[in-house]
Amino acid sequence: MAEPDASTVAFVERMPRRPLVLNNHSMAWISDRIAGIVENKAPLWWWITISITGSFAAFGTFCMLYLLYTGVGVWGNNVPVGWAWDITNFVFWIGIGHAGTLISAILHLCRQKWRTSINRAAEAMTLFAVMCAAIFPGIHVGRFWMAWFLAPIPNPNWIWPNFRSPLMWDVFAVSTYFTVSVLFWYLGLVPDLATMRDRAKGKVSRIVYGILAFGWRGGNRQWRHYEMAYLVLAGISTPLVLSVHSTVSFDFATSVLPGWHTTIFPPYFVAGAIFGGFAMVLTLMLPARSLHKLQDVFTWDHIDVMCKLVLLTGSIVGYAYCMEFFVAFYGANPFERFAFLNRYFGPYWWASWTMFTCNVIMPQLFWVRAFRRNWAIVFFVSMCANAGMWFERFVIFVISLHRDFLPSAWRMYYPTWVDVFTFIGTIGIFLTLFLLFIRFLPMVAMSEVKGVLPEADPHYHPRTDPESESRKEAHA
Amino acid sequence: MKTVFRHPPEDLTGKRYWRSLEELADTPEFRSWLQREFPAGAADLELDGVSRRNFLRLMGASMALAGIGLSGCRRPEAYIAPYTKSVEWLVPGKAVLYTTSMPGPKGGVPLIATTFEGRPTKLEGNPLVPSSNGGTDLFAQASVLDLYDPGRARTFIRDGEEAGAQQFDVYLASVAKDLEAGKGAGFAILMEEQVSPTRDRFLRKLKERFPESGLYTYNPLGFEEHDLAVAALFGPDIALRADFEAADIIVSLDSDFLGIEQTVQSVRDFSRRRRVHGLGQDMNRLYAVENRYTITGGMADHRLRCAASQIPAFAVKLAKEVAASTNDRVLNAVVAQLKDGGTPFDEVWIKECAADLVARKGKSLVLLGDRFPAWVHGVVLAMNNALGAFGSTLRVLSVPRVKTSSFRDLVADTKARAIKRLFIFGGNPVYAAPADFEWGELQRAIPEVVRLGYSFDETSSPSKWHVPEAHYLESWGDQRAPDGTYLPIQPMILPLFGGLSQLDLLAKLAGLPADVEAIRETFKTFNQESDFESAWTRFLRQGFAESSSYQAAKVEFNPNALPDLLKTAGPPPGPVSPGAIEIVFPADYKIYDGRYANNGWLQELPDPITKITWDNAISLSKSTAKALQLEDGDLVEIGVNGRKLQAAVMIAPGHADYSLSLPLGYGRWVVGKVGQGIGFNAYALRTSDSPYFATGATVNLVQKNGHRLVQTQNHYSMEGRALVREATVDEFKRNPAFAKTVWMDAEIPPNVSLYSHPPLNAPNQWGMVVDLNTCIGCAACVIACQAENNIPIVGKDQVDRGREMHWIRVDRYFASAGGDKNNPHLEEDPEMVMEPMMCQHCENAPCETVCPVNATVHSEDGLNVMVYNRCIGTRYCSNNCPFKVRRFNFFSYNDRPVMDRIEKGLPGFQGKQQLYLGPLAPWGMDELSKMQKNPNVSVRIRGVMEKCTYCLQRIETAKVSQRVKAGVKGDLSLPTDSVKTACQQACPAEAIIFGDIKDPKSRVSQLRTLPQNYHLLEYLNIQTRTTYLARIRNPNPKMPGAARVGNINVDEHGDQRHSAPRAESEMDGGNA
Repeated sequence: MAEPDASTVAFVERMPRRPLVLNNHSMAWISDRIAGIVENKAPLWWWITISITGSFAAFGTFCMLYLLYTGVGVWGNNVPVGWAWDITNFVFWIGIGHAGTLISAILHLCRQKWRTSINRAAEAMTLFAVMCAAIFPGIHVGRFWMAWFLAPIPNPNWIWPNFRSPLMWDVFAVSTYFTVSVLFWYLGLVPDLATMRDRAKGKVSRIVYGILAFGWRGGNRQWRHYEMAYLVLAGISTPLVLSVHSTVSFDFATSVLPGWHTTIFPPYFVAGAIFGGFAMVLTLMLPARSLHKLQDVFTWDHIDVMCKLVLLTGSIVGYAYCMEFFVAFYGANPFERFAFLNRYFGPYWWASWTMFTCNVIMPQLFWVRAFRRNWAIVFFVSMCANAGMWFERFVIFVISLHRDFLPSAWRMYYPTWVDVFTFIGTIGIFLTLFLLFIRFLPMVAMSEVKGVLPEADPHYHPRTDPESESRKEAHA
Repeated sequence: MKTVFRHPPEDLTGKRYWRSLEELADTPEFRSWLQREFPAGAADLELDGVSRRNFLRLMGASMALAGIGLSGCRRPEAYIAPYTKSVEWLVPGKAVLYTTSMPGPKGGVPLIATTFEGRPTKLEGNPLVPSSNGGTDLFAQASVLDLYDPGRARTFIRDGEEAGAQQFDVYLASVAKDLEAGKGAGFAILMEEQVSPTRDRFLRKLKERFPESGLYTYNPLGFEEHDLAVAALFGPDIALRADFEAADIIVSLDSDFLGIEQTVQSVRDFSRRRRVHGLGQDMNRLYAVENRYTITGGMADHRLRCAASQIPAFAVKLAKEVAASTNDRVLNAVVAQLKDGGTPFDEVWIKECAADLVARKGKSLVLLGDRFPAWVHGVVLAMNNALGAFGSTLRVLSVPRVKTSSFRDLVADTKARAIKRLFIFGGNPVYAAPADFEWGELQRAIPEVVRLGYSFDETSSPSKWHVPEAHYLESWGDQRAPDGTYLPIQPMILPLFGGLSQLDLLAKLAGLPADVEAIRETFKTFNQESDFESAWTRFLRQGFAESSSYQAAKVEFNPNALPDLLKTAGPPPGPVSPGAIEIVFPADYKIYDGRYANNGWLQELPDPITKITWDNAISLSKSTAKALQLEDGDLVEIGVNGRKLQAAVMIAPGHADYSLSLPLGYGRWVVGKVGQGIGFNAYALRTSDSPYFATGATVNLVQKNGHRLVQTQNHYSMEGRALVREATVDEFKRNPAFAKTVWMDAEIPPNVSLYSHPPLNAPNQWGMVVDLNTCIGCAACVIACQAENNIPIVGKDQVDRGREMHWIRVDRYFASAGGDKNNPHLEEDPEMVMEPMMCQHCENAPCETVCPVNATVHSEDGLNVMVYNRCIGTRYCSNNCPFKVRRFNFFSYNDRPVMDRIEKGLPGFQGKQQLYLGPLAPWGMDELSKMQKNPNVSVRIRGVMEKCTYCLQRIETAKVSQRVKAGVKGDLSLPTDSVKTACQQACPAEAIIFGDIKDPKSRVSQLRTLPQNYHLLEYLNIQTRTTYLARIRNPNPKMPGAARVGNINVDEHGDQRHSAPRAESEMDGGNA
C-alpha cells in the first residue's frame, strides 16, 4: 500500500480525527470495563431501579390481564374514538424502536464508526420497544383469542386476511422488523458472548454464554462470514427502518378521516420515529454511561452527534406540522380545515401545543454547542422529545377521531386508570428488560469498539503516538 | 473492522517469520485448513444438511404445536332442547304472526305480533286497519320488553307477604259476598282511562248490580279539561278528532300532536300533507307556539317561543284577530268577555297567523294542549267554530262512554270515609297523583286496598293486596282505535307469572264470563254478518272489525254554554319575568308518565329533543340560565306553591325565557332495577290546580355541576356542514335540484377508485331513502331496531362513555339560520332539524378496505355485511366510518349484568357496573330477557363490532320463501317492495323507505329519482346506498322571520354554493 501523500499527512496532523475512545484505552481495558459490568456484583442502584420498574411492569401486566378478561371497555375508548391510548402507545413504542436499527444498519452502511459504542444498547432498546409496541395491537382487539385470524393460515373456508387493510400490512411490517432486528442484534452479540464465555469464572455462566456464543472461536473464517452476514442484515434492515413506520403511518394515511388522510405521513412518521428513538437512546445512555463509568467509550462527541440528529429530525417534524396546517388551509376542504383548527384550538388544544413545544421548539436548543454538551439540558430536551412524541400520536389519533364528519357523533375521550397503568406498565417492562440487558449482556459491542481503536488499523503506527510506550506496556 | 487478508505471497524473500508450528511445517492439512479459513474469493457456500423435507417437517411440527396451544380457547358450550312432541304449525325459527292491539289512553294501537315458538318478540303496526299505515309509536315498540321485564310482579302479595292465587280467590269470593250484601256500598274502583268496550260493558254490569259502588278514573296526563269543554259545548259522549289530511293551516298552541299527544294516525295524516313528491304538491303549514322545543315545534314552519302560562293569553289574542277578520258573532262575544293579560306578544306574528287561518277558512285548524284549563279549550273551540273547522278539519264524533267520577271526587269521598274497599286497576296514583292530594297518606286511610299492578310499585306497597297484572300480550281484551275501529287484544302467550288482566278481575267481581268468551260477547255488537264464526275468525285474522269506527255526531256547537265556561277563567297571570318564573310539567317522550320507568330500552333511548338518557332535567333557555347564573348540570332547588324539589338544569336552545320544563315520570322510589334512582320527581311539585304548569317558581342553586347529565349527542351545531339540507317551497320550485348543489357537492371532482370491488350483480340491489321532510324524530325506529336486532342496553355510565349500542340514531341539530348575525336570538331561537342516521351501506365502503380480517365485506346485493364470527374487534372500521354508525361491544353487554352495581369489594370499584368485574361477575342472560330475542339475529358477544344490516334477516326470510315459491329455476328476485326493515315498518310518518333500487317500480327507486334526493358526504366517493330527501319548509312570506325559515344551508353571504364552514357559535352541551 502506498504511503499517504504529504498533504494528507499534514491535514491529519493539523486536524487529527477525534478518537472514538478517549484516554487511549487499550483493548484489554475495554474488555475489562464492559464485561466487568456483567461480571461484578450488581450495584445497589440497579436493585433499587429494577424493583421499581419491575413493580410497574407487574402492575401493568395485571392491567392487561384485567383488560383481557373483562373487555376493552375498561379503557376509555368509545365510539368516535375507537383508538386512543392503545394505538398511541403502539405507535409511540414502534417509533422508539427506530433509533437502534438506524444506528446499527444505516450508520453501518455509511461507515459511521462512532456508532459502535452505542449500537448494542440502542438495538436492545429497539427490541424492547418493539416488544412493548407489539403488546398493544395484541391486547387492544376485542377478541384477542381470535387474533390469529390476522395470520394468513391456509384453511378450508378460503378465508384469508384482507390484504387491502393497512393493519394487515402492519402485522407483516412489524413482525418482519422485529425478526430482522433480533437477528441483527444477536448476530452482533455473538463475538462478545464468546468473550464473556472465555472470561466466565462460574460453571453456569460458562455453559450459558457458551451455548449463546454458538461456538465462536474468533477465527478468520468466522469473522469473514460474520461480517458478510452483518452487512447483509444491515442491507435488509435499512429499508425496514424506513418502511416500518411508513407502513404504520398507512394505518392513518389510507383512511378517509380528516387529520389522518394525508400523504405527508410516511416521511413525517419516519422522521418522528428517528427523532423519538434518538431521544430515548439519549435518555437511557446518559445515566447508563455515568453509572457504569463509560464516559470514555460513550463520549460527549457521541452525544453531540445524536443531539444534532435530534435537532435535524425534530425540525423535519416541525416542518411537517406546519405543512399539514398549510395544506389543510390551501386544500380548501372544510373538513380538513376544521380538523386542523380543532387540533390546535379545540378542546384538546393543550395536547397539540405540548406536542409542538416539545418536538419543535425544545430541540432548537441544540443549535448551541454548549447545550449539546450539557447533560442536564440534553436529558431535559430528550425527555421533552419523548413526551412530545407520545403527544404527537395522541394528537393525531384522538383529536382527529373525536370530531370527524358528523358533529352529532362528536365526543370527548377520557382515559381510565387502566389506560394509564397499562402505559406505565409498558414503560416498566421496557426499563426492566433494559436493566436485565445491561446486567447480563455486554451493553457495548466490545469487539466492534476494539475494531475502531487506533491499534485495529492495519496502518497503525505507534511512533506517531506520543504515548505509545505506555500503551505497549499495557499490552504486555 | 473488515480487512482483506492477503495470502502470503509465494515468493517470500529474506527472513521467514512464522506464526505457528503448523505454518512452519506447511503440511497439506494445514494448507487445506488455511484454504478453508482464509479463502481468497467468496465463501464457498456449502449447502448444509437441511433439506426441503426437513424444513417442511420442522415447520409442520411448529404449526401443530401452535395448534395445540390455541385449541385451549373454546367457545362456551350451549345446549338446544328439541320438542319431544311437535307443535302444530310450528316450524322452529319461523315466525308466526298474530293480530292484537295495545291499550292506550286515546285508544288502542293496532298491532301485529311476531312470535317465535310461542314467544312474542316484536310488534308491528297492523297495516290492514284503515287508520293505520303499519307504523307504531315507540311505546308500542318498547312494550314487548315490558312483557319480559325481570322487575315485573310475579306473585300475589298480601300485607307484604307472598300469597297464592287461591287465597286471593277466597278473598275475592268474600268481597263478592259483601258486594251482594251492600249493593256495593263503600266499594270503589280506580282505573286509568281506556277505550275498551268489554271493560265498559263489565263496568256497566257492575254498576247495575252494585249501584252504590263508585267508579273513578285518573290519568296523570289526562284530558279532563278538554273533555269538560267539549261536553259543555257539544253535550255528553262526544269526542273531537282532528283531520290532519284535510287541514291546510294548523296552529298548535302547545299541542304536541306529533309528539307525546300523538296517535299513529295523526302522524300519518300530517305527514301525508307534508310529503313532497313532485312540484305541484300542496303542503300544509304548521304554526307552533310553545315554551320548549317539542317534536311538533321541530316540524313547524313558524315557531314562536311562548311561556306555557301565556298560552291562554296568546289564544285570546289570536281569537281576537280571528274574530276581527271573520266577524264571527260567537267569537266576538268570547273575546269581549275575556281580559287581556297584558303580556306583549309579537303582534305581526299573531296578525299574519290569524290572517292565514282565516284565508283558508274551512281548511284551517287550531289545536291546544290537552292539559290547559277548560275555558282556554272553550276559546280555541270557538275559534275553530269561527274558522269552520267542525265537520271539516275537526270531526265531531259520537263516542259512547261509561260515566266515571274524577280523581278529585275519589279524594273527597276518601276524606269523607265513604270508601271502605278500593280496587286500583293499573296506574300508580301514590306516585302520580297531584301532590296536594297527599294520596299516599290518604290511601292508608282506606281499610282495604286491592292493587292490580304490573309491577310492585309505590301504590302497591301500602295496599293490602297486590295482584300481578297480566301483560296485554298475555290476556284477552279489546280496544277501540282513536278513530273507533274495534280491535282485538289476543294473548300470545300464557301469563308468565299467572297474572290477571283487568277484565279477569272485573269479570270475577261482576260474576261474568271472562277471557275469549267476554270478547266474543262484545264483538257481537260490532258484527254485521250473519255467520258469526267466520266473522269472528276474520276479526282475529285481520285484527279489526270492519266499519266499526265512531259515527259522526249529530250535534251542533252550542255557544250558549260558552259564557259559563269562560267564567272559570281566573285573573290572567302576568308575563313571565326573572321574578315570575313558571315551571311546566310535560310528559316525558320516553317513559311517558313514569309507567315505563323500568323499561331499559326507553330509559336508554335519548330524548328526541334534549338527547338526555337515563335522566330528566329542567330545561331552560340560555338567557334564563344566564339571569339565574346557572350552567348545565347544576343542581337547583325549585320551589313552587310551598313545595320544593331538587333537580338538575340543562340549557335548551329554543326554550322560552323564564320558563322551566321538567318532564314527569322520573324519580320513582319503588321500582325495578332499571328505573332505580333515575331523575327527579316532578310530581312532587304538581298540584291539582296546576296539572300542566305552575307560576311563581323560585330557583336556588344547590350545587354547581352537582349532577351528571348524560347525552348521546353533545354537539348541537351542524358546523355549517350541509348534512341536513333544506329549502322553502318557493326555492324548491325555482330550483328543484337544490339539494344536489349545496355546499361541497356543487363541485365534486370525478373520483377514481383504487380498488376493484366484487360485482353488484344480484337480482335485488338494496337501498334506502330517508325523507327528512316527514321525519318528525320520534325515535320509534330506534326502539324498533333495538327490538328486532337484539340490541342490548348498556346503562347510564356506559352511555356517558360513548358506548350506546343503537344501530340507528336520530341526529338532532339546532341551526341558526344564516345571514342574520344581528339577531340577538340567533342561539336562543334556532331551527331544529332531525336526521336519522344508520349504516349507509356505501358501495365503496371505507370500513371494508381497512378490516384486516375481512370481517366486514360487501354482498352482491349491495349490503355492507358484518361477519360477527370473523370480527376480532380492531375497531378500525369504526374509525374509518365517516358516519360513526358502527357500534362496538366494549363489554359483554348481553352476558354480564349491566344494571347491577358492585356493592363492595375492591376500593374504587364500588358503585360501578358489574361489567367491570369481568369474570367475577355472573355470566349469562337471565331467562326472561332471553325470551325477547329474535332467533334470526345473532346475539353478539364482547369484542365484536356491529351495525345496521338493513335487517338482513328479513331479506333472507323473504328470499327463502321466494326460493320455495320459485323452485330451482324460477326468478329469484323478490317482488317489488316485499321487504320492510324494522325501522321502516315502525315509522308512522313513512319517512324511511327501503327497497330494491334496481327495480324501477319500487318506491325507493322512485324516490331516488326525485330532485331533492341527495347523498351524504358525496365527495368521499363512498357511494352510499342510503340517501336523503331534503327538507322543504313552507313558510308564510308575510310572517316575521320568514326569511330565516328553511335556509340553514345558506351562509352569511347568502350563497348556497362553495361556502366554507361558517364560524357558527359553538353550542356544545355541558360535556363537550
